[in-house]
Amino acid sequence: MTILEGMTSGFFQSTSLAVFPYLFVGSIFGLIIGVIPGLSGHFAMAMAVTFLYTMEPAAGIAFILAAHATVAQGGGLTAILFSTPGTGQNAATLLDGPPMRDKGEAGIAVGAAMASCFLGATFGAIVLALLIPVLREVVLFFGPPEVFVLAFLALTFVAVLGKEDMTRSLIAALLGMLLAMVGVDNVTNTFRFTMGSDRLSDGLQLVPVILGLFAVAEMIDLWVRGGTLAKDVPTALSAKETQKQIFKGIGLAFKNWWLVMRCSAIGTGMGLIPGLGSAPAAFVAYGHAKQSSPDRESFGKGNVKGVIGPEAANDAVEGGALASTLAFGIPGSSSMAILLSGLFILGLETGPRMLNQNIDIVFVMIFTIIFGNLIGTIIGMFLVNPLSRATSIRASVMVPVLMSVIATGAFAGERAIFDIGVAIVFGILGYAMKVLNYSRAALLIGFVLGFAVEKNLYLALLLDGPLFVMQPIPLGLMIVTIVFLGWNIFTIYRDRKKVIPK
Amino acid sequence: MRRTFLKSATAAVVAITTLGFGTTVAAQDAAEFYKDNVIKWIVPYDPGGGYDEYSRIIIPYFENYTGARVDIVNLPGSGGMKGAVEIFNSPADGLTVGIINGSAMVTNQLAEIEGATYKVGDYNYLGRIVADKRVMVSSAASGITSFEDLMSNGKQEIVGATGLGGSTYVDAVITGEVLQIDQRVVHGFDRSGDIRTAMLRGDVQTMWGSLGSALSGVEDGDLNIILHGEKVPTGMLEGIPSIYDIAMAMDDGEKRVRILESWEALSAVGRPVAAPPGVPEDRLAFLREAFAQAMNDPEFIAGSIESDRELSFATGEEMSRIAKSATELEPDVTELFVKAIRGEI
Repeated sequence: MTILEGMTSGFFQSTSLAVFPYLFVGSIFGLIIGVIPGLSGHFAMAMAVTFLYTMEPAAGIAFILAAHATVAQGGGLTAILFSTPGTGQNAATLLDGPPMRDKGEAGIAVGAAMASCFLGATFGAIVLALLIPVLREVVLFFGPPEVFVLAFLALTFVAVLGKEDMTRSLIAALLGMLLAMVGVDNVTNTFRFTMGSDRLSDGLQLVPVILGLFAVAEMIDLWVRGGTLAKDVPTALSAKETQKQIFKGIGLAFKNWWLVMRCSAIGTGMGLIPGLGSAPAAFVAYGHAKQSSPDRESFGKGNVKGVIGPEAANDAVEGGALASTLAFGIPGSSSMAILLSGLFILGLETGPRMLNQNIDIVFVMIFTIIFGNLIGTIIGMFLVNPLSRATSIRASVMVPVLMSVIATGAFAGERAIFDIGVAIVFGILGYAMKVLNYSRAALLIGFVLGFAVEKNLYLALLLDGPLFVMQPIPLGLMIVTIVFLGWNIFTIYRDRKKVIPK
Repeated sequence: MRRTFLKSATAAVVAITTLGFGTTVAAQDAAEFYKDNVIKWIVPYDPGGGYDEYSRIIIPYFENYTGARVDIVNLPGSGGMKGAVEIFNSPADGLTVGIINGSAMVTNQLAEIEGATYKVGDYNYLGRIVADKRVMVSSAASGITSFEDLMSNGKQEIVGATGLGGSTYVDAVITGEVLQIDQRVVHGFDRSGDIRTAMLRGDVQTMWGSLGSALSGVEDGDLNIILHGEKVPTGMLEGIPSIYDIAMAMDDGEKRVRILESWEALSAVGRPVAAPPGVPEDRLAFLREAFAQAMNDPEFIAGSIESDRELSFATGEEMSRIAKSATELEPDVTELFVKAIRGEI
């Protein structure tokens, strides 16, 4: 089967009556999972995989992948409306989404987010399709030295993330890396910062940490402040007004198509790199959107570009993340490991044999990502209205309800009461950071990348010795990192000088 | 505290019941007890992994022969230890069972890893689903196509492994020690898939793993199987040297083989289904019988052959013996293993 035949066959299969209903159900399922704080794409897939035993291959793959693909979309909705990241990768959306809501522009933010998700996903899927002939070479490009330097590069983006000053961002990022060390070290079997707790020996789980830092902290803030979630909006937007805003938001995403493209490229690229995950991709995209924008000051205060960037990157990750799974049958993340076993359950081979013999299935996946996100966008728009009404409910009613949802989300991943405790502790930490003006985003990036940095540094040192950074590719990336960091420090000092004389 | 109380309370109730009736009545009682009851089946890993898959394909048959409904609970954590501990400590009423990573649980217990609060020899085993066949693979890119190449090319090979104490690590270290392979074990990869990527990139030349996980790489032409741990190879392992033949041909062959046999005892524990200690005998007997019937169901076997899933059934009684012998190694061998698990070799 040639690639072109595979593409045609994949298209007709994914739109056929035998497959499309599953794709539809899967994408709605994913969207709902995404809306619920704490339930991630990993969770959606883990639930979906149990249905595969009786399904046909194409229908099964469309179902499971659609469920995974739309999660970030649902999560964006929650992030903007409730200041609570629906999933980890939506944490970056919190920087500008909720401020837009407070300005009474919730509809615009959601419209822009939904459209960017769709565009980003489509971009990622197309890149994946284009890469098929060279997929193996591309995936093998990233070894431990490359990943280490890239994770480090991503880490430097904390410098431009927030409105907070750089020293505090660095402190937060380093604290995040420190928190990533908690647990049994995979390399030496040393127990680090576990304080004798069995539960901590597996390390801190990402979901409760994110829920605590952002969602619980927001609830504490809301409780202390009183009033309603949407700060300066006295009454809920009317349905008609919301509709109008949504279409305006969609228009804005298309108008900023060049930004969408660049951020999608960041997302797809980071999805290709094993072990980085999608949360850093969204933050890096946010940093890039801010960096490249002429109106940097308005970021963090409700700039729509701060929503478009991370949301486009979020969904573009999917295409990249699929690459190593498809090229070698080697999963790049825990979600992809579930996908892989899903393929196995459906009786499909992965790796080169899939690329040679079942290329149509690869295109079913590609079209699933595109159609799934399109369905997610459309359904998501209908969800905005009822959900946005909830944002004008007063705190004394809203906080208990959201807190129980958050607690459930924290519990669900590992079925551990302990994780609810983790969420609460990080909620207090997050609230303190918010009050004291430390960047929670920086802490999260440090936390997520801490694993990748440490593991790959260790492997790179063992495999290539201390001079691994002198290899051409890592060296090039290292120079980019230093230049980037240098430029940021320079602009900060320049801006400071500009401000002080006045 | 409460759990202990419940346990003893159940035991007391059961003791009274058993005293009153004969054994036939007891068997009927067990059947009646399980009919329409709910059994919790713990999988110590995420959905989608091998343990989860095996569980999900056997469960419909197990439900059939027990008459009970079986609910899967995935309890990932501590490399499968969290789930194993949960099974060990669950109420001994015969309503909680689970699949465990037997070999890893034995090594953790031997090395007295923190949190290994179970005793592999004390579980009530229903039986074993499968035991992995261990193989050493080299990457096609390394140019090593046979074990002879590996030994004779005069180069130090890099062997990839996951965490310290993981089976890829223990296998590599023990066999390297026994066969005196000139190698360097690099551990710290997240999962065996990451080692495979490193092999394809040329960062690493060889690794140990299960035959099942190596198959797809072999069929793709990315990997070569160069050594295996079977005494009597079957299927695609025929014609590939056995680690036993190579060890036997060396000086002190018998001593080397003795270590390898202990190593094999570890893998023989494989993937058993276990209930906690103290389950009433009639219920245990009933569960064992039902599990044996499920594993020998022709439809189940046919399905497994069709989907290339290996099976190597062992009964509950056999499994108890296997588990005991794996934890009761000779002192010098134990010492060697503990060193290997702790990364001291």
